[in-house]
Amino acid sequence: MKRILQHPTEVATGKKYWRNVEELADTPSFRGWLAREFPQGAAEMELDGPDGLSRRSFVQIMGASLALAGFGFSGCRRPEIQFAALSKSVEWSIPGKALYYASAMPRRGGAMPLMVTTNDGRPTKIEGNLLHPSSGGSTDLQAQATILDLYNPDRSRTFVGHGQKSERSEFERYLKDLLGKVGTGAGMAFLSDVSNSPTRARLQKEVLAKYPGAKFHVYDPTGSLQHEAVASAFGDGVALKYNLEKANVILAVDSDFLGIDAIGTEVTRQFSRRRNPSGKMNRLYAVENRYTITGGMADHRLRLKASLVPAFLVALAKELGVAATATGTADLGASAEWIKECATDLLSAKGTSLVFVGPHQPVEVQALGFAINQALGNIGSTILGVAVPPAAAGTLADLVASIKAKAISTLFILESNPVYTAPADFQFAELLKSVADVIHVGLRTDATAQAAKWHVPGTHFLESWDDAFTPDGTYVPVQPMILPLFGGLSINDVLSLVAGLPVPTGAELVKATFDTLAAGTDWPKFLQNGYLDIPAAVAPLAFRGSAPMITIPSDKGIEIVFPPDYKISDGHSIDNGWLHELPDPITKLTWDNAALISRKTATSLDLARASDPLVRSDEAHLDSDVVKITVNGRSLEVPVLVTPGHADDSITLPRGYGHAPGTTGKIGTGVGFNAFQLISSTTPYVAVATVERTGKQYKLALTQEHNQMEGRALVREATAEKFAKEPEFAKTMHIDGHIPPNISLYKSPPLTMPEQWGMMIDLNTCTGCSTCTIACQAENNIPIVGKQQVINNREMHWLRIDRYFATAGDEHNETEPEMVMQPMGCQQCENAPCETVCPVNATVHSPDGLNVMAYNRCIGTRYCANNCPFKVRRFNFFNYNERPIEKIKVGILPEASGLYYGPLAPKGTEELTKMQKNPNVTVRIRGVMEKCTYCIQRIEEGRISSRIKAGASDKLRIPTDSIQSACMQACPTEAITFGDLRDPDSAVAKLLDNPRRYRLLEYLDVRTRTSYLARIRNPNPKMPGAEKIADIYPDEYESLHGEGAPGGHGPAKNPDELHSNPEPAGAHH
Amino acid sequence: MANIFPRWSNQLPLKVLVCVAVLGAAITCGVAYYFTPKYTRVGYQPIQPVPFQHDIHVNQLGMDCRYCHSNVEVSAHSNIPTAQTCMNCHSQIQKNNPKLAALKTAWETGLPLPWVRIHYAPDYAYFNHSVHVNRGVSCVSCHGNINRMEVVWHDQPQSMSWCLDCHRNPEKHVRPMEQVFNLDWKPEGKDPQKAQNEIGTQLVKEWAIRPPQNCGGCHR
Repeated sequence: MKRILQHPTEVATGKKYWRNVEELADTPSFRGWLAREFPQGAAEMELDGPDGLSRRSFVQIMGASLALAGFGFSGCRRPEIQFAALSKSVEWSIPGKALYYASAMPRRGGAMPLMVTTNDGRPTKIEGNLLHPSSGGSTDLQAQATILDLYNPDRSRTFVGHGQKSERSEFERYLKDLLGKVGTGAGMAFLSDVSNSPTRARLQKEVLAKYPGAKFHVYDPTGSLQHEAVASAFGDGVALKYNLEKANVILAVDSDFLGIDAIGTEVTRQFSRRRNPSGKMNRLYAVENRYTITGGMADHRLRLKASLVPAFLVALAKELGVAATATGTADLGASAEWIKECATDLLSAKGTSLVFVGPHQPVEVQALGFAINQALGNIGSTILGVAVPPAAAGTLADLVASIKAKAISTLFILESNPVYTAPADFQFAELLKSVADVIHVGLRTDATAQAAKWHVPGTHFLESWDDAFTPDGTYVPVQPMILPLFGGLSINDVLSLVAGLPVPTGAELVKATFDTLAAGTDWPKFLQNGYLDIPAAVAPLAFRGSAPMITIPSDKGIEIVFPPDYKISDGHSIDNGWLHELPDPITKLTWDNAALISRKTATSLDLARASDPLVRSDEAHLDSDVVKITVNGRSLEVPVLVTPGHADDSITLPRGYGHAPGTTGKIGTGVGFNAFQLISSTTPYVAVATVERTGKQYKLALTQEHNQMEGRALVREATAEKFAKEPEFAKTMHIDGHIPPNISLYKSPPLTMPEQWGMMIDLNTCTGCSTCTIACQAENNIPIVGKQQVINNREMHWLRIDRYFATAGDEHNETEPEMVMQPMGCQQCENAPCETVCPVNATVHSPDGLNVMAYNRCIGTRYCANNCPFKVRRFNFFNYNERPIEKIKVGILPEASGLYYGPLAPKGTEELTKMQKNPNVTVRIRGVMEKCTYCIQRIEEGRISSRIKAGASDKLRIPTDSIQSACMQACPTEAITFGDLRDPDSAVAKLLDNPRRYRLLEYLDVRTRTSYLARIRNPNPKMPGAEKIADIYPDEYESLHGEGAPGGHGPAKNPDELHSNPEPAGAHH
Repeated sequence: MANIFPRWSNQLPLKVLVCVAVLGAAITCGVAYYFTPKYTRVGYQPIQPVPFQHDIHVNQLGMDCRYCHSNVEVSAHSNIPTAQTCMNCHSQIQKNNPKLAALKTAWETGLPLPWVRIHYAPDYAYFNHSVHVNRGVSCVSCHGNINRMEVVWHDQPQSMSWCLDCHRNPEKHVRPMEQVFNLDWKPEGKDPQKAQNEIGTQLVKEWAIRPPQNCGGCHR
């Protein structure tokens, strides 16, 4: 019987999900783009592209290298391989077994407790410290990616004095001479980033004891003013801690508290625990100028210019009956009703609500936020205080004033890069020239290192001793797993040198602090657990003072906003290729930053790409207009990216990119545009800008068009109200209620193992933060491919996050869309379409239900990728691990990416990069297909452990939930659950009966092992526009296709869990 | 009528035939040698930096495998002993034996001894020693009677098909747990092969041994 399977057509009514503007408008060029698996030319070698290697010269090179390869027959002898067994045994070290250390990553708002995996002495993977009370075992993006900073091949390797390579002994001699001259320390200053390390504070006191005239300054290049705001509202020595499990109504005003403004993972986890629709769901309101992760999770989102936030808060305060005095007025337009309903909702949840105000907003605006929380009774309820050491340092502005007054002759810059990050009006590079002795300590030879008289290679936190407090106030150690790779000095080392203390190689400095802070407790246990098992000091919060005077800026003209970048923050991770290649969660932009604007603003500026995307050709697909933005007389040329959901007359330009040539490593060279050039000390976050067209074009590498899946109900959502009425709505959506009994031409694989692996992804709690993508990259040795290859659709991420915008009905309206995130890795289909087309059986099914890939069998036909309905297979077009991805020059040939030079490019992985690789996962070479394996190395490790434990018995059971995939372990919102579907006690099996559960493309009978839990929104019914939110079943659609209608949905049915019969009797044809 | 073919062409078919035969023979020999599991350097017996004799240490002195290969029961790798392990005894015994000069240097300088690797699984195959020795597979099954070797050689092909032979029929090799490190053990009975099959089948059943035969078992 021949059956032609027709994919169901897209539902014409109801909610429309789209990933970019072109898709929404359904242009012919977009349809053409979609129809191809790869964009034009992606499957071929790009020979005449910007890299300029012609076909002819390529053939010449290939011929020559083939001929040369024959000489010597070197390939016919097996090399003699040697073991290098250690000479002396190392305690605890077992070759082939990982060792785990508890440590913590120092952060501005408080350290993140970690558990670091080391293999043969190399740190290879970072996880959260499950023992720590606030960690939950999860991490965030920066924690996952920081391991690559440790192994950055371009990190600083030597001491540099007066522009010459030098040595530690030379530096120590210089320092001794210098300190002999400073007397009481007047004229000596220190500048560092924010830190809450008690050891550093102790050493600072030691330095001040010896040099009472010395000054310490702190600069936070992200521009956060939260510390100042908290200090002004509650006094010094207090930090805030939130209890979101108690919060029923949350308002985030210009605050990405689930994304870049998140402090630790606890807040995110608490928030997502309250998103379970079977309990009492919280409700989130967001007010922001650009789409953020928090905005995407919000039930109601208000687009508002960042400069209107003070006016918004004043209006809200008025509705809430909080006294707020303001100068100036601004027109909030149609948002008055929004504010009213939001205020009503907040008032209905007195004591169980929470208002976040963005940390970049002026101190008095944040203080008004605290006043509102005070009036709502949240302080002491959802907002708690933690005692922290009081700040004992001046600001950057103080330092600049002192330098200008010629009061500074010696300046220590500790892990800070003010030449790049200081506001442009300080002209810090010029200022530094008037300081006689500048000593810079840092991991990279950045702009400040090059401007300094002496540069000292710094240490990564994985190779030096320190300590810190976590956001909840627990005391944690920062312990190294490896000696400093290049013999650098940590900040603590330098401070103790200055204070005249010895510089120990071990833990002595931290131990001394520990003895004063935690006398009588067990030091080894502190290191083993990774935290001090004493509850943190809770500081009672006393809000002082009435609401301050708010200045409402004029809202005329175009504003520009400078948030820290979601990926590289203030730019210290500029050499981190994982972060560059990670698509931004919202814009899906890689390897760049761009000026984000709304379509309306773009049209008003007459920008070609933005105003006419519907007719442009494929070649111009990624071209963006470059505009010249001028702020306070300083200007910058930067490409524009139209972003749905962005406020009009507002531009967002993330910080951290566009470092000057020569101040970064190979990876960071020429990446992005420097927002710091436009930032001045008077307008550090929002400024008024003038924008003009330049007529230039710039290629942005966006991944949002890649791997499209046409109009199928892939993401499913409803409102809480709808869900209460019809809990199984997700099971019958779209075609899923009409599926006829399916037959398969192929034999189903025998699923004979007792364990059957599966995964559940909860769309309700997934914020799209992308931590899982980086965790997967670190765990599975996934290479980066570089900007040009991303443009060619060749990115390698096994786990991508699909970001959908959604608009109601057939309105082609991208101004106020909703957003849904969907992590997408291999679905491990039981009837996998990829397996049936592989000519060499390189991808086959394992008896525990995995779709496995034997790399050494793969010959690279890419049939499997063609046949994969989820487009989750990745192909190694080049030898990414062995050849340089940056541009190189070979002989007389033109400069081109090392990938294109093939055998002529230098071969071999950088030794440092090699050290990061997970030894339990094959490093793939060119021509091999790869994809998510559910972390088969972890599964095998778990299985082997159970076999070893069983020994001479048949008790082979793998303990329930003892195996975690890397994405699951990293996820801060517990959105991913992995485990054994056949084990009734496992977390994943318990979710099988969840009414929200559905599988993708059910009608294809591929029987995916990954299921999703539909998203539930919790809108406020009184809010304007609430009826459109997540309204997937308009009445009209229901009457046409709903239950009872002719040909309508059948009753809800539970998809078959697994093949009940392992070996179907040959009826399958 | 003149000849169409010149005179030299008479021998052409013969020449072609000889060439084809030689080429065919070369291909056949090449494939027979290189493409079969036999080409896995069975018999490879390199010179080691220290003339260590398993025969003396295990067979004559009765040392256990695990004294030196101490992690074989817990780790994927069966470790090569550190110089320190050797020096536990050799700091007292035979300490001036010139054969141990390289060992002494390694111990004094801290540099590793360059032992030549004999058994070598490719990077994409993940063999785990611990799971084998903890489930009744003896060293002898893969390494031969290494306890009687004066200089270690590569005893078994260790190709994928060779692995699968055992993974498909584990009863041929599984033995009681207490005999795993006794390389001279033979099952009692007139026909050792038959006795092994009997005891093996029983153990496989009792211990629920089901060695993986899918790709994911060894390739990740």
